[in-house]
Amino acid sequence: MALIQQALPDFLDGTRNTIIYCVSSFSLALLFGLILALMDSSRFVWLKAPARIYIEVIRSTPMIAQIFLIYYGLSALLFDLDVNFPVLNLAQYDNAWVAGIAALTINYAAYEAEVFRAGFLSVERGQTEAALSLGLSSGQNFFRIVLPQAIPLMIPPFVNDLIYMLKDSAVVSVIAGTELTSKLDFWRVHNGSNPIPLFILAMALYLALSLPTSYLARWYEQKLRAAL
Amino acid sequence: MQQTLNRAESKPKAQIWFVLLDFVFYLLLVAFLAGFALYIYSNRDLIIIDFPILLQGAGATIVISLLSMVLATIFGFIGAMGRLSRFTVFRLIAAVYVEVIRGTPILVQLFLWGFGISALLAQAGFNPHDIAFQMMTVVQSNSLVPSEFIFNAAFYGILGLSFNYGAYMTEVFRAGIESVPRGQTEAALSLGLDSAQGLRRIVLPQAIRITIPPFTNYFITLVQDSALLSTIGGVIELQQLTTALASPLSSEPNKQLFVYIFGALIFLAICYPLALLARYLEARMALAY
Repeated sequence: MALIQQALPDFLDGTRNTIIYCVSSFSLALLFGLILALMDSSRFVWLKAPARIYIEVIRSTPMIAQIFLIYYGLSALLFDLDVNFPVLNLAQYDNAWVAGIAALTINYAAYEAEVFRAGFLSVERGQTEAALSLGLSSGQNFFRIVLPQAIPLMIPPFVNDLIYMLKDSAVVSVIAGTELTSKLDFWRVHNGSNPIPLFILAMALYLALSLPTSYLARWYEQKLRAAL
Repeated sequence: MQQTLNRAESKPKAQIWFVLLDFVFYLLLVAFLAGFALYIYSNRDLIIIDFPILLQGAGATIVISLLSMVLATIFGFIGAMGRLSRFTVFRLIAAVYVEVIRGTPILVQLFLWGFGISALLAQAGFNPHDIAFQMMTVVQSNSLVPSEFIFNAAFYGILGLSFNYGAYMTEVFRAGIESVPRGQTEAALSLGLDSAQGLRRIVLPQAIRITIPPFTNYFITLVQDSALLSTIGGVIELQQLTTALASPLSSEPNKQLFVYIFGALIFLAICYPLALLARYLEARMALAY
């Protein structure tokens, strides 16, 4: 109990950092996911193929491999660049925050793109045809007709992915991050004799974040199903 | 009206440029692939050393994933039986299992198994390595059992991985069983089958069709999540070997980057065919009935 009291402030600090990781990465992932989904739904190969390749490659490699690649592989390259171009001083930017958020964003952009794509497909083709025949441009059709109808359908999978991201943000601990699992790892190493209470505390904090979110998503989904 | 006409006129011109960009893209793609092949070729000295090692790691990753999936299926089946049980106690236990496991990161659970529970059980006198060693001694092949450090790490790692995926499998199986209309069970019971026969002969064969696509999808994520076992030490799988081969190269950043890329490529070579298989199965199962 005394151990939990000692560790609690540090763990709460880690929880706050986890939330910062998730919120910033998820909003970036939504933005890039939308761009990828739009590229993917294009008729032109030069837009469609890069998006497709990106999505397939990212979804078929583990996030821990990507995070190692970004943090160790890329930072080594940046150091190499800095030796040749000392003015740039790029390596200082490749810290655990940047690498963690970059890895989470890169990984989840691919998943969000698929959610966007499924959402756009769920809006009937007739809606687009009607909008175009009424004289709307394809951009107007997208933002005024397709998107408003697709967004309610996309919210449950987005919230689901947000919970997945909350859990995947734990992987940042392998590159010396400052989020909850890193704190857990630090305290575990320094209290080797009795780590179980620390695990319970960390899991309780994760559950406190994920369970309300998932219940909210379920409630929204039921409301949505009733409305449709 | 004027505006729409102008737009209609200007459209074909823009499209020609966009179509031309397709050819530019193909040229760039060929250039990129050639450049990537050259990049791999220029690191051939690393490949000669690392590829056999990483291939062994890939084999370990596949074995670990298959073992974990079999165990996860068992956990998931027990969990689904619990969630659909008539008894509130079983339903409650299964619900807590699913919610707690799905609400916490797999990495934390792996730490818990690898550093928490294993230490606790070791204090209580439980050592999976010794048990396996003694069992293999009976059949006179105890030299096949790896060292204590490796065996115990793999034991608890696979247990943690399958315990985690068991929770997801519980929901998959539950959804599958619930998707079979209630009338099927009622018909089976009224034809004189008992409830176990009804489940085994009538409900499960229909439920399995529906569970196959999510099952394969979870297997792909399981293969990827098995890379997390590299964090608990002692599990010699693909990601662990990649990191082990890459980290001594920190004085040569380009080589270090290449090893990380190479490890990720092997994961891609395992997971992408599985993703194609999952998509094929999904399309086929959608056609059924």
